[in-house]
Amino acid sequence: MNPLCTPRDHTFSRRSFLGGGLSWLASPVLAEAMKQKDKQVLFVWLDGGMSQLETWDPKPNTEFGGPFRSIKTSVPGVHFCELMPKLAKQMHKLCVVRSLCTKDNAHSSGVDRIQRGDPKNRGVPYPHFGAGVAKLLGPGSSGLPPYVWIKPGSGGFRAEDAGFLGPKYGSLAFGDGKPPENLLRHPDISADQDAARNELRQMLDQRFAKQREKRVVEANASVFDMAEKLMARADIFDTTKLPERDRDRYGRHDFGQHMLVARQMLEAGVRFVKVTSYGWDTHGDNFNAHATMVPKFDQAFSAMLEDLEASGLLKNTLVICLSEFGRTPRINGHVGRDHWPEAWSIAMAGHGVNHGLVIGETNARGTEVKSQAHDIGALFHTWYHALGIDSHHVEFDNAGQPLPIAHDDMLPIKEALA
Amino acid sequence: MHRIIVGLLALTASAWAEQASLAFSIDSALLQKTKTATPADDAEFLRRVWLDFDGGIPTAAEARAFFADQTPDKRTKLIDKLIAAPRFAGRMAEAFHVMLMERRGENDVWKAWLVACFKANKPWDAMAREMLAPDFLNEQQRGAGYFITRRLEKVGQQDTDYPGLTRDVGRLFMGIDLQCCQCHRHLSVDDYKQIDFSGLFGVFQNLKLQATDGKHKTPWVSEGLIASKYEFVSVLTDKKGQTAPRLPFGAEVMIPADSGDDAWLVKPDRKTKEAGQPKFSPLREIAMRLPAPENPLFAKNIANRVWWLLTGKGIVEPLDLHHTDNPPTHPEVLELLGKELTAHHFDLRWLIREIAMTKHYQRADATQRHLIAEQQLRAFISATGEQTRLEINTQPDVNVDAAKYSRADFQKAFAAALANPAKEPELAANPSLRSALFLRNSDHVQWALKPRAGNLIDRLAQQADPADDLYLSTLTRLPDAGERKQLASWLSAHATDKTKALGDFAWALLSSTEFFVNH
Repeated sequence: MNPLCTPRDHTFSRRSFLGGGLSWLASPVLAEAMKQKDKQVLFVWLDGGMSQLETWDPKPNTEFGGPFRSIKTSVPGVHFCELMPKLAKQMHKLCVVRSLCTKDNAHSSGVDRIQRGDPKNRGVPYPHFGAGVAKLLGPGSSGLPPYVWIKPGSGGFRAEDAGFLGPKYGSLAFGDGKPPENLLRHPDISADQDAARNELRQMLDQRFAKQREKRVVEANASVFDMAEKLMARADIFDTTKLPERDRDRYGRHDFGQHMLVARQMLEAGVRFVKVTSYGWDTHGDNFNAHATMVPKFDQAFSAMLEDLEASGLLKNTLVICLSEFGRTPRINGHVGRDHWPEAWSIAMAGHGVNHGLVIGETNARGTEVKSQAHDIGALFHTWYHALGIDSHHVEFDNAGQPLPIAHDDMLPIKEALA
Repeated sequence: MHRIIVGLLALTASAWAEQASLAFSIDSALLQKTKTATPADDAEFLRRVWLDFDGGIPTAAEARAFFADQTPDKRTKLIDKLIAAPRFAGRMAEAFHVMLMERRGENDVWKAWLVACFKANKPWDAMAREMLAPDFLNEQQRGAGYFITRRLEKVGQQDTDYPGLTRDVGRLFMGIDLQCCQCHRHLSVDDYKQIDFSGLFGVFQNLKLQATDGKHKTPWVSEGLIASKYEFVSVLTDKKGQTAPRLPFGAEVMIPADSGDDAWLVKPDRKTKEAGQPKFSPLREIAMRLPAPENPLFAKNIANRVWWLLTGKGIVEPLDLHHTDNPPTHPEVLELLGKELTAHHFDLRWLIREIAMTKHYQRADATQRHLIAEQQLRAFISATGEQTRLEINTQPDVNVDAAKYSRADFQKAFAAALANPAKEPELAANPSLRSALFLRNSDHVQWALKPRAGNLIDRLAQQADPADDLYLSTLTRLPDAGERKQLASWLSAHATDKTKALGDFAWALLSSTEFFVNH
């Protein structure tokens, strides 16, 4: 159970924290006004903590650099680890931030804190970025659920991702990239029969709604509608009909195929697509593990960037790739790297962000951030701004209590914004 | 003459008995505020009591018999019949399982304990005592321990959820959600102080979950030694406080001065893996004091929760936010319920019957609510006429149509598709994408709507005019003229395959909102 208070308990707490009845508190800008049709987000989550040194911020031939070399990228002067040859060719599309300095070095708190943007302890659980975007930008015109999550393992609806925004904005997870159970029409039922009896059900409900509280009928109608729309787009889960070449380009491994499903989701107009890859917590045998995993990531993520650019979707899709933290420069006794929130990297691309750019730098040994350090709050401001949302003025409405959408002491990273 | 006097006396006595009943007092109190409630018609009443006391719906034949019955007190008789039926304990066990465990999982020993309690009509204070300080060595009582042990199971890397257990004890047994008071006084509820949470927290934090062993047939908890008060500090004001074990709003329990070996009944011993047993058991102290007449919130909480269970609305809402600034909608009714329940030694069956007897319960415009997954399942398999077949099929065989599913299969599928997520109070079963897809496409639903000897579709196919049977079997009411016409035109439009047409119409009824709400 979450030890934090529930939203309803703190309805007026922000005001009382601030000394009560402050009239200068702007009323929350209506989410409705912010809703924009076409902006989308791809959020790639490398769970466990990808090593910055074996990816975006290599330090070859240094004390902690590890065995891999660095290679040139498509942007002069910028080098990646040699495990990412494909992404190196696409650096001109990317915006890499090498100056992250965050706070939690435990998975249990870090995963949550990074994805919720840590807007100080407000006494209520904050929504994950995906839930925030779903709320602020709305579901869009696709009719599909606004926040979907493609992940290995089990699927289902995760209401807790939405925090105080309420279960409506939770994530709909597709376990193993598979569709939800019972998505396909039953083989014994023909399409005509299915449509006819569903229409009959609607008629019965409309009749019932006339005599009773509409609310109950509406709640039922909305889930049947969502089911209908998803059934109609059952094809987006099916990668088997795609050209063999596509499936090869993304890689015949979980992450590759999940990214391919993600591409189809984006093409179908889903507002926020999160893809998770697990297993990056390399406390032992860090280098072999990264030698196996990074190339798969390199393959799928670069194929995605190519395709989004080719289809034009990159113009309106903000792409973000990160973990809960980076990994220690110091190599431990098990030839592993441990958790390191002090100095690590993330990558972005697409809508609203600059490209072909590296922001910030770590010191020569990779142990600390040398330039200005950025906590996750600054990234949330950056992402919201990239999506056209003024994160200093727009607020969430927690049952009457206005709450900032991002840490109110932080600013967006200006250089990152296009 | 004598006979007349006796007759008069009997008449007065029964009238007096009625006026002395709690049901009568409730209605009198409610009627002061609201206009006379229109009574529900027979059909509505029938479906409601069945869903509430059986958990399912009556068959078409049972419905017909009830409608035809001209006895003036047939409703009272039905209430008494359903409450006396063996199934009543099962239904109550399901409802209380969902209320107390909030979908944290299933456990047979716990379920069996709940059923046994309701079968024996064990008073609620005794039930609460068994849950709060379980006797894990007592075969009849150890099932009650699941309330605590399940909540103390570790989830991933998270700390053992002692605050959650503390919170749930307050919520479910006293109707007060003290969660915010873990770290500071409650910001919006003046009545709730940090000491109220801490007095309980010290007791539950002192428990340790132990695995099944030679002596214990279920997981169990051992208690540590409490020799000093629990100290806490407010994160808002840095103000410090301390408390001995204490009920919220109650007096502290004195911690005995025993120390060293004197403090132990059985000393802990690492070598023999003896967890030890202190002489002073704060858990037992709390379990004695909480479910007691001296703690008025104990009676009010359960009265309010039973009221909610039967009427769909709490007299205090949220159910776990009883406090001065959140007054009951009908204070005199809640007061009455609490007082009378205490006087009746926390007899839940009596309370349930009294509430069912009120005009308020039997009114027409009762609150609509979605059925819980267990009711949906029971109603669904009863409506489709597959109950018996599913009960018989304990060893399902996927290759034989009639033996394809067992009741357990259906139970699992319905719970997966229709139950709310874990750890949330299931105040309303919310429709979801999952439930919609299940109803629309699942094989379970499809299977039950295929004609099969003796089931609903098979039966309807043999009737020239199946409208009455179909509506009675699914919605426990007769169709009106419009609905009859709708069915007739549907059947004539799909005349090529009558069983298919009937199956589809039944599907639409069974997927409709009307089927999934209690009226």
